[in-house]
Amino acid sequence: MEALQNLLMGFTVALAPQNLLFAFLGSVLGTAIGVLPGVGPVAGVAMLIPLTFQMSPTGAIIMLTALFYGTQYGGTITSILLNVPGEAASAITCLDGYAMAKQGRAGVALSIAAIGSFVGGTIATIALVLAAGPLTRMALQFGPVEFFALIVLGLSLLMGLAGKSMVKALMMGIFGLILAMVGMDPVRGLPRFTFGRMEFMDGIGFVPVIMGLFGLAEILVNTEEKLTSVSVAKMSSLVPGKKEIGDSVGPILRGSVIGTLLGLVPGMTGSASSFLSYIAEKKVSKYPDRFGTGMIEGVAGPETANNAHANGALIPLFTLGIPASPTVAVIMGAFMMHGLIPGPFLFKEHADVAWGVIASFYVGNVILLILNLPLIGIWVKILKIPYGLLFAVIVAFMMVGAYSVSNSTFDILVMVLFGIVGYLLRKLDFPLAPIVLTLILGPLMERSLRTALDMSQGDFGIIFESPIAVVLLSLAAVILVAPAFRFFRKKTETLSGEEGA
Amino acid sequence: MQRIHQGAALCFVAFSVFVVWEAWNLEYYTPLGPGPGFFPLWLGAVMGGLSVLWLAQVSSRRGRPKEGALLPERDGRVRLLSVLGSMVAATLLMDVLGFQSAMFLLLLFLLLIPGRQRLWLTLVVALLGSVGIYHLFGSYLDVQLPKASLSLLARLGL
Repeated sequence: MEALQNLLMGFTVALAPQNLLFAFLGSVLGTAIGVLPGVGPVAGVAMLIPLTFQMSPTGAIIMLTALFYGTQYGGTITSILLNVPGEAASAITCLDGYAMAKQGRAGVALSIAAIGSFVGGTIATIALVLAAGPLTRMALQFGPVEFFALIVLGLSLLMGLAGKSMVKALMMGIFGLILAMVGMDPVRGLPRFTFGRMEFMDGIGFVPVIMGLFGLAEILVNTEEKLTSVSVAKMSSLVPGKKEIGDSVGPILRGSVIGTLLGLVPGMTGSASSFLSYIAEKKVSKYPDRFGTGMIEGVAGPETANNAHANGALIPLFTLGIPASPTVAVIMGAFMMHGLIPGPFLFKEHADVAWGVIASFYVGNVILLILNLPLIGIWVKILKIPYGLLFAVIVAFMMVGAYSVSNSTFDILVMVLFGIVGYLLRKLDFPLAPIVLTLILGPLMERSLRTALDMSQGDFGIIFESPIAVVLLSLAAVILVAPAFRFFRKKTETLSGEEGA
Repeated sequence: MQRIHQGAALCFVAFSVFVVWEAWNLEYYTPLGPGPGFFPLWLGAVMGGLSVLWLAQVSSRRGRPKEGALLPERDGRVRLLSVLGSMVAATLLMDVLGFQSAMFLLLLFLLLIPGRQRLWLTLVVALLGSVGIYHLFGSYLDVQLPKASLSLLARLGL
């Protein structure tokens, strides 16, 4: 009942004309970013943070979160019409979505994807409303020790799932933490790694770093090839038939549950949700061999799951202050730039912001549903803009975005530097996601531990006095050590196999 | 490619040595607990250990990376460097020529050379882009974008 009252209060904030406008802008820009090649959601959100500096914190976060789940809608359009996923989470949609487009059913695939995305996003938001109270109450019991342990657990989950190599994921995580050390020491206020430069006193700006690592690096990779236009599949009627609607109900409901639950787990990517949903649909289908030939279930399930995931991933951020994915970490950074700390205290100290933003998720999902179907022609036109023209405009926006963080050309050079670093790291097959997460969580982790140790006058025993912290840290240790065990077991099996042969 | 991975691993080792060296000069522990050097020192040490582990992995026969070049062929390399070079040049020129002129020149170059767009389209997009972005950020979002320090350009309001 309390949650419902809070949500109603949130709706009064979300439905205020200026916040409606921000949700609309975020949805449009998010869809455009999802459609555009070369700008992922991480770089997209980072690029648009400077646009929010003049806004109220509520309006800014409403716009950025709308942009985040808007990218999921946009990514679907390119998967179905182009066979090129705009976002990794929409990759699996290519299989049946593009096959449907080739059969002249692109409109139906897009409609079902939009409806599924709307349902998935709405169900995940309901889950957030229900989880907010209990999770927040639990988190309010946490002191610095427990928060330190929670951040370590969150980071370890992200590391284990970040890529093919645990060593590389850990290296990137540590790299992000080292970058987070630049600037003033959070407890003693002494400069670290600043090399005497005033620009580094406040630390390395995360907006230029993220725009470089994700946005510019992607552009550099695309620039290697000749910059050409794309061919788009023809559109058809948007109205699905009765059978297609009937076949989509089950996948949409299953996709909503899968996406919401996986969204809660830090480190689970949207692509994991959509992939799992695709496998689930194939398993329950009477015709699993027909998947990949244009089955509507192969579009409805994954598209619902990735949107439910995007909204579900905001649950740990809002309730515990832990971002579950790189894009959510950037949103967390935006919260902090607006003087807000996401987590349990947000509900206590800025209830209007927290519930206003949550209510805006419903509003944003309705806007996206309305926007996507009738405006599909506009998105198709955006797809036809030559990349040679588009990339120059994106570069210009990235430069002015980096500059406007602190009105300094130095930040543009930081972005270029991290663009080169990101390009090389991608070439060497390093996962970049851990850098974002540790860059944003690093200072919080250090502050929590050092505050805890200040309380115990330097005695590390304080960590082991908290049963919650011990459980969380043990889980983190298991997650980090498990891959090493698997590696040694595999090696032993291989050796015994060789001996037996 | 194995050599490149080994080289990259050595770069990471060097980076971690540098981090440890810098952290060494900071206070490691205080009577109240860890000092400013505590975290960086351990992070540098762990980074060093992981880099050595990666070096061992890429040097072993099993962990040998797949063949493939780190950098693209000549044409791609030229496009890559032209994008990066023009961005750096435009950034350095911003305080001299002003934001609008530097951005106009950058867009002109990017659209014409790596982008291979038609001249008229390039001119229109470069002009609208530089002036439009300046007004969007400068007028509506209150960002203080650089003005030209050259008196001739400054007199033109650039």
